[in-house]
Amino acid sequence: MQPSRTRTTVYYSLLWLVALLFFLPVFWILMASFKTPDDILAVPPRFLFQPTVDNIVSMLTRPNTIPYFINSLFLSILSVTLALAVSFLAAYTLSRYKFRATNFLMFLILSTRMVPAAALVVPIFQMYNAFQWRNQFGVLMLYTMFSIPFSLWILKGFIDGVSQRYDETGFVNGASRLHVMFRVVLPQVRPGLIAAFIFNLIFVWNEFLLNFILGGPGTQMIPYALAVGLTDSGGNVDWAFVASLSTGYVLLPTLMIFFFQKYLLVGMTFGTVRGEV
Amino acid sequence: MTAIALNNLAKSYGRKQILHNLHLSVPAGEFMVVFGLPASGKSVLVRLLTGLEAPDQGNIFLRGTDVTRLSPGERNIGYVPQSFALYPHFTVYQNIAYPLHLARVPKPEVEPEVQRVAGLLGIQSLLDRKPDQLSGGQKQRVAIARGLIKRTDLYVLDDPLVGLDFKLRERLIDDLKRTQAMLNVTFVYTTSDAVESLMLASQIAVLDGGEIIESGSPETLYRSPQHTRTLQSVAFPQANLIDGTLSTQGNRQIIETPAFRAGFSGQPNGPTPQVQIGVRPEQIRIGTAPGRLTCQARVLLREDLGGEEILYLDAQGVQLTTVLRSDDQTQQHVDIDQSVTISMQPQQLIVFQQGRRIGVCTGSE
Repeated sequence: MQPSRTRTTVYYSLLWLVALLFFLPVFWILMASFKTPDDILAVPPRFLFQPTVDNIVSMLTRPNTIPYFINSLFLSILSVTLALAVSFLAAYTLSRYKFRATNFLMFLILSTRMVPAAALVVPIFQMYNAFQWRNQFGVLMLYTMFSIPFSLWILKGFIDGVSQRYDETGFVNGASRLHVMFRVVLPQVRPGLIAAFIFNLIFVWNEFLLNFILGGPGTQMIPYALAVGLTDSGGNVDWAFVASLSTGYVLLPTLMIFFFQKYLLVGMTFGTVRGEV
Repeated sequence: MTAIALNNLAKSYGRKQILHNLHLSVPAGEFMVVFGLPASGKSVLVRLLTGLEAPDQGNIFLRGTDVTRLSPGERNIGYVPQSFALYPHFTVYQNIAYPLHLARVPKPEVEPEVQRVAGLLGIQSLLDRKPDQLSGGQKQRVAIARGLIKRTDLYVLDDPLVGLDFKLRERLIDDLKRTQAMLNVTFVYTTSDAVESLMLASQIAVLDGGEIIESGSPETLYRSPQHTRTLQSVAFPQANLIDGTLSTQGNRQIIETPAFRAGFSGQPNGPTPQVQIGVRPEQIRIGTAPGRLTCQARVLLREDLGGEEILYLDAQGVQLTTVLRSDDQTQQHVDIDQSVTISMQPQQLIVFQQGRRIGVCTGSE
């Protein structure tokens, strides 16, 4: 049955309404980053105002802001890339070398992500102190480790979908295992790689608790900066700073989600729902 | 020269034995069709032959050398896998050139080779496309081209025409036959289609229950099969098997069936009197003639296929199938439920005991 035009209009109006409602705080923050402190808290809210870049300039000129951005970019991109490399190799192996307890092993690997960060943070803090890993390398490894389970699940789903006949055709024609992995299978799971990359990048980008506890000058990221810069010296919320930093902060995930939204669904379903990618 | 010799191969998965006691010898230059019903172990045999899996027991010789322990790449086999397995990220050209690319053939030599094989299979116009822009038949041609481009003398084709529509299959059957003859190389081709086997093969090997039960030219296998399994499977429509009892009366051996009595010439391989008489549908005719075995039958069902019709008959409780050519003027027209006289040439009736051929019928008794 073809849904009637009115019905479609009603549904879409509702969807737009809910979407706009949820977008409102984001919109408020985005606007605030271009308002003067007086305009930000004005009642009633001012929709027409003289935009200013003062907030952004002052946010960027604070001594640590740029390093926070660099840390965020460096840690998230590098850790997810490393995790993808490890996960691809592992996923290929788990997919092709059928081993009795593969499903249980997959479950065990994923179960490391079922524990809430709040429960992990103390043991990890102690372990990192004991090993003296509270440096760039340590935090990088932590995020790499945390990005592996989801990447592995997504990639295994994708590699399972690549028929072994492809591998075998390669072998019979004289290809090596590495050739098959990187020239035959890898190009066919590119959507999975993108999905895993986006999905985990957003996770690392947003991670706060472990970063707050374990981080140091070389590893503190934007969420940390938001937390410690929340209030000014007088104890009031520094809305100008929060708004402008938030605006810069959501820029990367927003762009990624906008351009790669179809892959996001793949990530959330571990590659079992592949849709049109 | 022997291109392939399989010596006492066995392969099991867990407790399930797929192949056992498998012997096969393929002379160079033959079009060897390994025929077997679905799940008879054809694909496993191909996997052992190509080296994708190792046998539990036995040896594989290619071109006179033992390759049992060699990797697939070292066996130098041209391979057309069952599911086309065309690389979706390659163009048709790249797919076809892939075996040469892996063999590090210099680029200038690749181009003419690809053109030649593509010409052979009539797919020159598709070379720039990606596999997902091809129809099933075109994909199959590309897969065959990729298998054939390899510079070798031995090609393995694993049921490459399965699932294609009838017309296309016929065309590809012609192409394959022509190609094999032209290149003068050895083909090993698996299929579960009897007609395909008979059309393609210069030699057929029948794989049944995990072993090759018999092999030979299509004519021999069709006309005088050594096993009831061969008679039944290498056939379309299904061959008839009539249960009978073998007895000795004086110095003559007689087979008695519910439909008729016939003399027997041959050597029984055991004391059991139960035998089966095998007869191809086209060997049963309506009407009779001197020297033929005759019996009465009732027509149960008639299937008109245009050029020929299939009759299902009941001869005193024995179910028989026969094929009549529609344009055969000597055949009388029959209707359902009509009683007819049918007859067979006794020498064409093969007698089996415990599934093996023991002789033929000699005449009416």
